[in-house]
Amino acid sequence: MARVVFNNVRKEFVDEKKGTFTAVENSEFVIEDKEFVVFVGPSGCGKTTSLRMIAGLERQTSGDIIIGDRIVNDLHPKDRDIAMVFQDYALYPHMTIRENLSFGLKNLKKSKAEIEQQVKQASSILGLDELLERKPRELSGGQRQRVAVGRAIVRNPQVFLFDEPLSNLDAKLRIQMRVELAELHKRLGATIVYVTHDQVEAMTLGERIVVMSNGIIQQIAPPTELYNKPNNMFVAGFIGSPAMNFMDATIENGKAFVEGAQIALPQAVADGLKSYEGKKIIVGIRPEHLYGEEFAHTVSKEHTMDVTVQVIENLGADNLLYFKVGSRMVTARVHPETIARLGERKRLVIDISKLHFFDPETTQRIALS
Amino acid sequence: MQLATAKPKPTPPAYRRFLRDYGWAYLFILAPVLLFLVFTLYPVISAFIMSFQKYNIMKSKWIGFDNYTYMFQDDIFWKSIKNTVIFTLATVPINIIITFILAFFIFQMKSRWQTFFKATLYLPSVASGVTISLVWLAMFDPTSSGLLNTFLGWFGIDPVIWLGQSKTALFSLILMSYLGSHGSGIILYLAAMGGIPKSLYEAADIDHASGWTQFTKITWPLLKPTTLYLLVTGVITSFQVFISVYMMTQGGPNFATTTIAYLIYESAFVFYDFGLASAQSFVLAAFIIIVSVVQFKFFSSDVEY
Repeated sequence: MARVVFNNVRKEFVDEKKGTFTAVENSEFVIEDKEFVVFVGPSGCGKTTSLRMIAGLERQTSGDIIIGDRIVNDLHPKDRDIAMVFQDYALYPHMTIRENLSFGLKNLKKSKAEIEQQVKQASSILGLDELLERKPRELSGGQRQRVAVGRAIVRNPQVFLFDEPLSNLDAKLRIQMRVELAELHKRLGATIVYVTHDQVEAMTLGERIVVMSNGIIQQIAPPTELYNKPNNMFVAGFIGSPAMNFMDATIENGKAFVEGAQIALPQAVADGLKSYEGKKIIVGIRPEHLYGEEFAHTVSKEHTMDVTVQVIENLGADNLLYFKVGSRMVTARVHPETIARLGERKRLVIDISKLHFFDPETTQRIALS
Repeated sequence: MQLATAKPKPTPPAYRRFLRDYGWAYLFILAPVLLFLVFTLYPVISAFIMSFQKYNIMKSKWIGFDNYTYMFQDDIFWKSIKNTVIFTLATVPINIIITFILAFFIFQMKSRWQTFFKATLYLPSVASGVTISLVWLAMFDPTSSGLLNTFLGWFGIDPVIWLGQSKTALFSLILMSYLGSHGSGIILYLAAMGGIPKSLYEAADIDHASGWTQFTKITWPLLKPTTLYLLVTGVITSFQVFISVYMMTQGGPNFATTTIAYLIYESAFVFYDFGLASAQSFVLAAFIIIVSVVQFKFFSSDVEY
């Protein structure tokens, strides 16, 4: 296995009519050997382009890509020793599963015995033994996905690339395949680069996550760090479901004034925000860190806000309460037995240890230490 | 006061309800069904009956299998079959290869050039066969001023009587077919090529497949349904080749270009033997059906792109 390095990589697409579009801007990162890294971001953020540049299916406009010890800028995809699982699986529809799995090995002119043995090994890892003589159209979505993974592992490459491999599956199967992929990573001990737009997939699979937006890497961090210490408002809003709430606030005398509440900040936080005294900032709080007054057992009830509930969504395990703070819609994820009625005032408790502060100009996180 | 009670409406009979609900639908279906019955099914059945008759517009005479017996004993019939088979074998596969090669190269081009070549190569398909034959008659002019003979003259080759001698007449018609319309086939191939997902080639690139392997293992197999369609329709069309023969050689010289379709025309509209012409038509139909079934059996593919 091997590590993957991006050194100041930039990718531009030139269109005669639309002009130049920068898909990836000066990207820099190191994916360590045997690491499972997930690229996540909204459509068009450059995550798939980054993956395709690692695969060699796109040539970067500038910068270097290193796989293992080699700069692979000018290497053809087949010479990069990578394997890729495509979003649409890209199984050869006219070949049987056995032929699909052995296609790459045959092209490498491996012996029949070796091909047979490697196909057998991959098929038994992925539970494809019974399907080897079938054609892709005779398989379910999950089985096809497994074949696509099988085609990747059969060649035992240095790096595995996954391009939104679960996006065509239904919700239940996606969860099952997610678990299988995590187990496969443990089993193979492989370097995996995985692209998805689904932040749940990213959080559950990735050892580290690369969050991208508009071709720019916003943050690279392990899932918990992304959740607890997002670098900016984009990351804060993208990671977590429902998304983090943002409220306009003014800092005065160690207090954050938001509509409907004045939050007395702990001394350390107040000190950290001293330079914002009298200025506007953005306060961020995740929906799960707002509590109905009657269920705020784990946090201090000192800091509250009174809101008028506009929408209630019952999810079974939780209730989502929607209300407005200033012009912004805010969500609270509360205990399902929390008493709240539409149009009525409700007192919510804020866990102030979970507050995030952002500069409204730069949208960057305000460092408090 | 007495209250007037409304009389319950009697339920209409089932056929009326059916007509009310579905009448219009059946009326619309009736139009094409009638057209089919009058202009397709009736002529086919009456031609089949006619093939067992000595046809006369006033009173036809039932003669059993005489038309078929005569036909199978007629040397010209076998000659026409031979000519048709030679024409088909010489034109269909090569035309498919030419079409495929043209489509393959056009597919690599930028969109605007693709449009240009598609339009240019499709143009002959919208021209009438008669017009095209007249152009080719001028090209096959046997004098030294004919276009093809002028071309041969540059290489010091004597003028060829293209259509006037047995050994070159059929070849001339075949040559005309090669340089004729590939437009519709090209459009079908281009559509099929465009339908093959790009990701298959990318996966093949990663799977160490060379350009040739990608062509033989991915492109060609996935274009099989299109090739089969072109093969079957090509064979049917060439079995029925008529316009070019009628316009350019009239089946001659010495029956060298008499094809089965031209023979049917001659039997019916030159010798007015409609019974024999019907029998020949049914043999042609049977031949086409058998060949088509065989082609489907050997070349059919269940993957479509």
